[in-house]
Amino acid sequence: MPTRVRRKLLSLLVASVSVLVTAGAAVAANGGFTPEAPHSPNAARISSAYYLILGFTAFIFVVVETLLVVFVWRYRSRSRDRTVEGAQVHGHTRLELIWTAGPVVILAVIASFVFYKLPGIANAPAASNPLRITVEGHQFYWQFDYPNGARSINELHVPVGRVVDLRVVSPDVIHSWWIPQLGGKVQAIPGRTNHIWFKADRAGTYEGQCAELCGPYHEAMRASVVAEPEQDYRAFITRTAAQTLGKQEFEGVCATCHGMQGQGGYGPALATNPILTQKAGLAAIVRNGRLRMPPVGDTWTQAQIDALAAYVSKNVYKGATSGG
Amino acid sequence: MAARSEAAYPPVSWKTGRIASWLVTVDHKRIGIMYIATSIFFFLLGGILAVLMRAQLATPNESFLTRNSYNELMTMHGTTMIFLVVVPILAGFGNYLVPLMIGARDMAFPRLNALSYWLYLLGGIVLWLSWFASGGAPKAGWWSYPPLSENLPYASPGHGQDYWILSIHLLTLSSIAGAINFIVTIHNMRARGMTWMRMPLFVWSIETYSILLLAALPTVSAAVTLLLLDRQAGTHFFLPSQGGNAVLYQHMFWFFGHPEVYVMVLPAMGMVSEILPVFARKPIFGYKAVAFSTLGIAFFSMLVWAHHMFTVGMPIGLDSFFMLSSMVIAVPTGIKIFNWIATTWRGNLIFDTPLLFALGFLALFTMGGLSGIFLAAFPVDWQVNDSYFIVAHFHYVAFGGIVFALFGGLYYWWPKMFGRLLDERLGKLHFWLLFAGFNLTFLPQHMLGLLGMPRRISTYHHGGLWEVYNLLSSIGSGITALAVLVFVVNVWVTHGLRRGVRASNDPWLADTLEWYTTSPPPPHNFDTVPYVTSARPLRDLRRRLAEQT
Repeated sequence: MPTRVRRKLLSLLVASVSVLVTAGAAVAANGGFTPEAPHSPNAARISSAYYLILGFTAFIFVVVETLLVVFVWRYRSRSRDRTVEGAQVHGHTRLELIWTAGPVVILAVIASFVFYKLPGIANAPAASNPLRITVEGHQFYWQFDYPNGARSINELHVPVGRVVDLRVVSPDVIHSWWIPQLGGKVQAIPGRTNHIWFKADRAGTYEGQCAELCGPYHEAMRASVVAEPEQDYRAFITRTAAQTLGKQEFEGVCATCHGMQGQGGYGPALATNPILTQKAGLAAIVRNGRLRMPPVGDTWTQAQIDALAAYVSKNVYKGATSGG
Repeated sequence: MAARSEAAYPPVSWKTGRIASWLVTVDHKRIGIMYIATSIFFFLLGGILAVLMRAQLATPNESFLTRNSYNELMTMHGTTMIFLVVVPILAGFGNYLVPLMIGARDMAFPRLNALSYWLYLLGGIVLWLSWFASGGAPKAGWWSYPPLSENLPYASPGHGQDYWILSIHLLTLSSIAGAINFIVTIHNMRARGMTWMRMPLFVWSIETYSILLLAALPTVSAAVTLLLLDRQAGTHFFLPSQGGNAVLYQHMFWFFGHPEVYVMVLPAMGMVSEILPVFARKPIFGYKAVAFSTLGIAFFSMLVWAHHMFTVGMPIGLDSFFMLSSMVIAVPTGIKIFNWIATTWRGNLIFDTPLLFALGFLALFTMGGLSGIFLAAFPVDWQVNDSYFIVAHFHYVAFGGIVFALFGGLYYWWPKMFGRLLDERLGKLHFWLLFAGFNLTFLPQHMLGLLGMPRRISTYHHGGLWEVYNLLSSIGSGITALAVLVFVVNVWVTHGLRRGVRASNDPWLADTLEWYTTSPPPPHNFDTVPYVTSARPLRDLRRRLAEQT
């Protein structure tokens, strides 16, 4: 056993321990060592549970790995022959009891803390008059349904500081709603309605994306939550949402596969396809899907179809190629 | 009966050929070697898929792979590594070692044993043929959650998913037959004097592995049967639009899937429990604690499946139950880790390659176990589930834990299987490269998960830390691949170039009966089997011999 290898073993294990120590130091800076800075009470409570567990597990990690390194170094063979036996110790009952009871106590503390924080994570604050919004996960976009009937795609607008209760559903396959800074995730499962809530504590845009494999464009299923002052939110759901609906639909739904200019990609090119000008034909394809194309608009209202038809015939359609 | 009637006729000549004798063999050692060789082959294939995926993820907005190819690779990597590598290689080690360790001539049912192997090979071939299926290989992930795995035009049309289902059916049949064989062998064929408390800990782990397989596999068979009916016979068990329930599949799958984790990790732990004492020149610390914690883990592993499903929106009461049951498993796991560390205490640690891998297992599995606590606490799981944090977690368990133990086992038992010791210098190079490459690949993935990167995405658009960590991870995967290549070179140097040192019966001065016979053992294993008086029969023999001289 060359000393070189021994030294390497030691230095590598020391290195991994020091990585952990650095990790502790970097917690404040957050280089990915803790969940993203929370901006909702439930996310903050999840983070606090994370810190508690991190504290205990880092402690156990350091103890175990240090013992391992110390023993490996201390009891290395040196020049002893293989025939030299170590101490013939077969066990120690009291030690077994200690390292059974110790973890039990630590786990009990962690579980108790989780239960203590749980109501503030799982349940929206009572008597908070939550804003109820339906989130529909689709291949491959998110659709938001506001109380006044307005709809938006991929971008959810909410008033800052108001409790938002999301009903999370899906008409096709399983998706998973996740905005890391606003709490945990919940699956959007066909045939089920799940709930999750948040209360954005600061104006700003919070990014997230689908966390459950849902098909080829799983990675493209991004969502953002725009938390803004009450009057901006009002303006969005009463005017902007409807005005930009067609654009949102084309860019958030169609363009994923057909390209931002309708030039084609995973799906065929659209820009020169006259179907863009035929509302009935367009509606049928969008509502029912075609071949590989999922029925992206199977839950769309007539207003949504109208908005899309108006937008694409004006902004995407480049005229049929002559002689094509 | 069988032995007598075969002896009455001369052997059929074609059956004795160099290849044919392997095709018709019912010898547990040859079947074990075929299992191990086939698993290593699939390990290399699955590893290539992993490196391709890491190449795709090395930089943002990469288009090295198409989206569908990425999903195929990811599905095939997971399915291959779990069903075609870890479970069968353990069956291979079990096949080779259990009869030798308990002093038996063969498994209880040699022909059933051969059937298990051939079903496994067929299952593997069927899965890999799916690349040529209409619509390509399956791409719904190794869990294949419906409705994405259903035969819908926008989900999983084509036949790749059907090949996957057929493959799972064949592999579960193979494993169930193997499990019954192990249980019958261990219960009935132990050497005289080998009580349960004198049985090698690896045999304990294979006993537990078999019980868990029997308990868990029928559920996944049922789940994929229902999925097949949905896909091909017009039923809609998992199609909510027709009154089915998509979550039912998740319960059925994970009722199998979580015990499956312990099916894989317990025998790997058994190997570590064999290797550590031999290279520490000590008995295992707390034999009974290690044996009973194996059973404890197995029991509780049947009660934790829904911790994979904390984000499906179960009632809080269920979430709480599954959190507590999952945390309970940490206790017997901790007991094992502390006992292994205590085994090195006041030892004479001989740093041969098997010990390095066993210590690597300890260091890395500890990390994987501790990151599991975050996932058990379900509100924290809501944050990190389905992110790269979980990818890092289970690779620390499955690669840092299981694969390191398996390599340790290969270096340890190689001389027994093939009569030559693998090269020690290449072995050490293999270990250090793998240790460095593995950590570089998977440590940054914890951070990626916490930064919000979901698993199974085929590309990403963020620069900054996402890019740094992903690039580090991809570089690490290259180093890991290089390490595996060193192993292949080692095998070639040892056998192809015949540089390997010829092994004596017992090159490591080990404790268990397989080292009593020649390396490699004769077809009937033992001429005589000594009466077993402790859990370390070979040490007893050595001491008796020393007293006589």
